[in-house]
Amino acid sequence: MSGADDTRASGSPGPLRVLVSFKVTPDFEALRPADWAAGAVEAGTPGAGAASATGASSPGASATAPRDEVASASGTHAAPRVPTRCVRRVLNCFDESALELALRLSDTLAQRGGGADLAALSIGGREIDPHLTTLLALGYERAARLDVESDLDFAPAVVASLIARYVARREPCDLLLLGCCSGPGDGGTVPFRVAEALGWPCVSQVTEVEALTGGGLRVACTTDEGLLRLTVRGPAVLAVGNAVVSRLRVPTLRDRLARRDAPVAIVAAAELGIDVAAELGREPTALRGLEVVDRARRGVVVDGATPRDKARLLYDAHLRALLEAP
Amino acid sequence: MRFAALIDGTTAAAPLQARALAAFLADGLTGDGPTGDLGGETVIFVADDREAQGLVALAPTREVRLVRAAPRRPDLMAESLLTAARGGEIDLFLAPAGPWGAELITRLACRSDGAALTGVLDARLTGVPGAEPAGAPGADLAGARLQARANVYSNHMVGRFELLRRPWCAAIDASWNGGRPLSPPAHEVLPDTAASADAAPAASGDARLDPLTDVELVAEPPAGSLADSRFVVVAGYGAGGPDGVGRIARAARRMGADFGVSRPVVMNAWAPMDRLIGASGARTAPAVCLVVGASGAPALHWGIERAAFIAAINSDDHAPITRNADAVVVDDGVAVIEELAALIDPHGRVETE
Repeated sequence: MSGADDTRASGSPGPLRVLVSFKVTPDFEALRPADWAAGAVEAGTPGAGAASATGASSPGASATAPRDEVASASGTHAAPRVPTRCVRRVLNCFDESALELALRLSDTLAQRGGGADLAALSIGGREIDPHLTTLLALGYERAARLDVESDLDFAPAVVASLIARYVARREPCDLLLLGCCSGPGDGGTVPFRVAEALGWPCVSQVTEVEALTGGGLRVACTTDEGLLRLTVRGPAVLAVGNAVVSRLRVPTLRDRLARRDAPVAIVAAAELGIDVAAELGREPTALRGLEVVDRARRGVVVDGATPRDKARLLYDAHLRALLEAP
Repeated sequence: MRFAALIDGTTAAAPLQARALAAFLADGLTGDGPTGDLGGETVIFVADDREAQGLVALAPTREVRLVRAAPRRPDLMAESLLTAARGGEIDLFLAPAGPWGAELITRLACRSDGAALTGVLDARLTGVPGAEPAGAPGADLAGARLQARANVYSNHMVGRFELLRRPWCAAIDASWNGGRPLSPPAHEVLPDTAASADAAPAASGDARLDPLTDVELVAEPPAGSLADSRFVVVAGYGAGGPDGVGRIARAARRMGADFGVSRPVVMNAWAPMDRLIGASGARTAPAVCLVVGASGAPALHWGIERAAFIAAINSDDHAPITRNADAVVVDDGVAVIEELAALIDPHGRVETE
C-alpha cells in the first residue's frame, strides 16, 4: 500500500476503484391483486388441480392457487411472466443502499485526502438512463448501461456473466458492490455467481463499509450468528443487505448542471463477447409456472363510533381469549 | 440417486440448520416413491475435531461426513464437495436458508456445471428409477427431474422451477427454520474423502492467502427475538413518521407486546433495522399480531403469516392487509392502538370502564 488513504487491493497507487451494479425493477406494490391473477393466467392454464405444485407441504406458501405453464401453438413453452411493462420503475432497495454506501465511502476517503473512483452499471433498456444520469450528478465518474433487450428476469447466470465480463473487459475495479437480491427472481445468487466468475471472495448481507487508514476495508455483515465485522483485503464482491444507509441522496440542480454533459455509456453485450440468446439457452434453471398466493383471511370488520369503541370491541370479541390463553 | 444435506458446523447456526433440513427432508421433498428410501448423507463442515461429536448428533441422516473447513468460507467449502459433485456420487445438494447456504450451493453449481436454486419451499423428484434400493447410486438418472417452488416477485407469487442440470443444488427457504425436532437416527460417520487440498490454506489459518480476516462477532442475535414472540405489534409507513412509530412502540410496550416494523419504516430511519419484520427481516409466529398502518405488502406478510390471529388497524379500507387479516379496524392506527394499550395494562388485565 502506498499511503494511509490508499485502500486499493492491488497495492498499486491510486484511488479505490468501486463499481456498483444496480437494477431498476417494476414497483410491484403498484400492482393490484387482479394484475397478479391476470399474470398467472397469462402464464399458463389455470386449474392444474394439485394442492401444491410439487405435492409437498410447505410452511412458506401454505395456500396457493396453482397455474401450469402454457403450451403454445408451436408446442413449446411460453415463459411465464407477470406483465409489468406499464408499471413505474424503482431502484431495487438493496441496490439503492449499495449506491449510497459507495458515495459515503468516497466521501470518507476524500476527507482524508484520497478518494474513490466510482462507476455505476445497470442492464436493460432506456428506462434506466435517468437513474444513471442522476448517479453521474451525484459524483459517479462513469455510468454505463448494458443494452440488453432480452428478458433476463429469471436468468441469474446470464446476468452474472454480463457483469463479470464487464468488470474484466471494461471496468476493472477493486470493489464490486451490488444488492443482495432483487425481483422478480429474488434468488440472490447473482453476487455469488459474479464472485465465482471473477475468482473473488464475496461478503453478503453487508450493512456497513468503512475504509481503514492502513489499507483495506472494514465490513459489517449480518449472519445467522449475529453481526460480524471483518477486514477485506483484495478485490471482493460485497452484496449489500439490510444496511441502515438505505436511501440514495438526491442531487441538487447545481450538481445536475455540472454533469449535464457527462455521457451514459451504452454497451452492447456483443462488445463483451457475450451472445445473450445463446447464454439464455444454457441457463441451468428454468421458470416453468407461476402461482398466485392466496393469503386471504376472514377480514371481520370491527366497527364502532370512536377509536376507543373499536379498541374495546377488538379486545372483547377477538383478543381477550387469545391473550389470556395459557 | 443420492443427496447430501449440508450443515455449517463452524458457527453456532448448525442446530438451526439441522432442524430446518430435517423438516424439509420429512415434509418438503417428495417424489414418485417414498423419499425415505433415497440414499443420503449429511456433510457437516467443522473447524476442529473437538466439536465434531456433538455436531454428528444433529445430522438428519444416518450417514454423516465431517469435513474440515475454515469458518465462514463457503467458497472454500464448495471446493471440498466438488469431487462428489462432478463424479456423480451426489445428485442433490441441500443447504439451509441464509447467505452461507446460498453462497455454498451457488458456487458449487457454478463449478460443477449444475443448477442452483435458493429459497426452495418444496421440491419434487420424478423419474428416479426404482432400483433396489430405490434410487441407488449409479442408477440411470437420464429421465430424472427435479422441480422446486420458490417465492418470486417480492413474495407476490410462487414460481415453479425446474433445475435442468445435475448436480441439483438447492438452498431451502427460511420458512423451514424452526422445524420440529425429529428423533435423530443412529449415525454412522463416513470417512472424509471429499476434502481437497484447495481448502487447506484457509483451514490452516494462513492470513496471507485469506482475503477476509480479523473476523469479529460484534453482536449475537438478540435473546427473546421477534421470532419467538407470542404477541407482536407491527408499525408501518402509515404511522406517518418517527413520532407515530414511537407512539406505537410505546403502546406495544405497555401491552406487553414485542414491537416490529415494515421495511418502509426502517428505510426512513423511523426505527432501527433490527426491528424489521418480513422477507429480509424476522419471521414471526405469534398468537396475536396487530398490524398498524402497514399496507401489508407480501414481503411483510411473509414475516407475519404464521401468526394465529392477525388484526389490521388501518385508515385505508382498501389496503391489502385488510384482505389478509382475521379482523380489520378502519381508523387512525395510532389512536386505536393507544386506546387498546390503555385498555390492557402491562400485566394483561383489562381496565374496567
